[in-house]
Amino acid sequence: MPLNSISVLYRKEMLDTVRDRRTIISMVLVPIAAIPLLFLGMQKIISFVEKKAGQESLTISVQGGDRLPGLLNALAGAGFKFAAQPDLKAAVESKAIAAGVEAVVLPSGAKEVRLYADDTLQASQVAAGKIRMALDQFKVNSSRLRLQALGVPEEVLSPFTVKRVDLAPPKKMAGMVWGGMLGYVVVLLMFSGGMYPAIDLTAGEKERRTLEMLLSSPAGRYEIILAKVLAATTAIAITALLSLSSLAISLHYVDFGKGAKMLQGMTLDVRVLALVALALVPMAIMAASLMIGIALFAKSFKEAQSYLTPLVMAVVFPLVAGMLPGIQLTPALALVPLFNVCQLIKEIFQGDFNRLSFAITMASNLVYAGIAFLAAVQVFKSEKVLFRT
Amino acid sequence: MIQVTNLTKTFIDPKRGAIHAVDHVSFAVHAGEIFGLLGPNGAGKTTALRLLATVMRPSEGTAVLGGHDILREPEAVRNQIGFLSGDMGLYHRLTPRETLTFFGRLHGLNGAPLKSRIGEMFARLDMEKFADTQVDKLSTGMRQRVAIARTLVADPPILILDEPASGLDVPAARVIEEFILEARKTGKTIILSTHVMEEAEYLCDRIAVIHQGQIKIVGTMAELRAATGKERLREIFLSLLGLEALERKAPHAS
Repeated sequence: MPLNSISVLYRKEMLDTVRDRRTIISMVLVPIAAIPLLFLGMQKIISFVEKKAGQESLTISVQGGDRLPGLLNALAGAGFKFAAQPDLKAAVESKAIAAGVEAVVLPSGAKEVRLYADDTLQASQVAAGKIRMALDQFKVNSSRLRLQALGVPEEVLSPFTVKRVDLAPPKKMAGMVWGGMLGYVVVLLMFSGGMYPAIDLTAGEKERRTLEMLLSSPAGRYEIILAKVLAATTAIAITALLSLSSLAISLHYVDFGKGAKMLQGMTLDVRVLALVALALVPMAIMAASLMIGIALFAKSFKEAQSYLTPLVMAVVFPLVAGMLPGIQLTPALALVPLFNVCQLIKEIFQGDFNRLSFAITMASNLVYAGIAFLAAVQVFKSEKVLFRT
Repeated sequence: MIQVTNLTKTFIDPKRGAIHAVDHVSFAVHAGEIFGLLGPNGAGKTTALRLLATVMRPSEGTAVLGGHDILREPEAVRNQIGFLSGDMGLYHRLTPRETLTFFGRLHGLNGAPLKSRIGEMFARLDMEKFADTQVDKLSTGMRQRVAIARTLVADPPILILDEPASGLDVPAARVIEEFILEARKTGKTIILSTHVMEEAEYLCDRIAVIHQGQIKIVGTMAELRAATGKERLREIFLSLLGLEALERKAPHAS
């Protein structure tokens, strides 16, 4: 009875798989730890860089301050500390100061403030930005005082004000920034999580000489390969679920600090997680079939690893394309495997996905999964592959 | 019980061309006998047994095991056989109980009958103490018993044994020999491959000498002696490798 055989084979494959230490690490531990570590790591890096740049950017040097009364006060009010330097250009280049300010009186009598900064140095770039803002404010304040002295209303200076209304809700913004990256991380984890079980179920069986025993049992070839693909799919699905759960828990309970403000806008409700999980199902079958089909060619675990590692690396390219800003999931792009699912996840996180693109992504990935499975069946039926010496 | 007719397996090697691993082999194995395939390494023994076990498909010819043709009813054939090789082929992360349950279920056994059969195997092979220990923690001797139990769990009428004692020390090989003789007592039909003369002479009711994919002679020890004029199997074997004309005189080659 094929269904009974498939169930017996599947249960044995799962039992064998969950007892493999390497599989448990790649299927369970890595997905649970990867996302919180990724967030925490990024938060640490961002805050470290910001803090370092903030501290370094505070020291500047001003020359000719007496030519422009109020200049030093304006800059001191912006938080800058002053260090005397004879040559501003050299001091910026040697990083002794973040930026240099020089007030000069032109031959025409007009006053000019020169700003010395190096945009390739982050501290210098930050300092230049702050100085520019402080100078703008200083200019406005000076003008205001002069107008007041002349009895001219202040509104002359600003006939209108500009207010920017950001149409992207925080959820959409967070989804755009994080969704692409999280989709990429989850898909990559799925491939790496499925790699060891796929190898163990194929090349591992060959290496341990158990495959011949299985082939001489009443189970049919189709049933055996189907059970193996199902077991690898389950391992990949477990990796995906753990990754997503870890993501949801991280967002709700882990304090990522100020550096990850963007995350606060990202809400992961059951509907979002269910949609992402659904989008990942065909990809899990495709990844399992592909890895099983390839690993079958290998005679040993090591050989299979050398076959599958480039595949996992190749997966990166379509995924990275999905992370690029401005790329939309059009119905045509929904036909591109891996890219489509990564992009779809991004749009689901943004809370703004196109139903047609969702349907095309699901359908095309199901077709690719079917093709990959049939290819794996053909490989498994090949005596040349199974008994390669 | 087993009728092999013109069984042939040809592999295509890109450098060496067509290689006939099994070359138009025909023989019969009667019910309840131990039939030995004796040949040097690379003679085609393993390929012949893989064809009988339906693990591979023949290029030509066929075989009927227990009334089922290997080409037309491979699944029914596999339901009739127990397969064992020298490297045992055990799942190291499963326990003996799980191993027997798995293979028993694949043979259609379930529930109480399977449980009772497993209990019977454990008692017969003295396996109760390590029944729930993972195979990778067992000694070679214990693993051997697990492999034997797995082969017999569904009580198949035909046993296909591919160099079952290969690589084993004398006491371990003795366990395998006892298992084979015990199986014959219970009426099993056994075909085994070996390159060990002593083993073939001691265990087999009839022996087929196979070399370069072809059967050189088939018969009982007495028949082989009569056909070759040699006394010891080793001498018979060596003479056959060089005297191919004797093939035609073989009394039971069919």
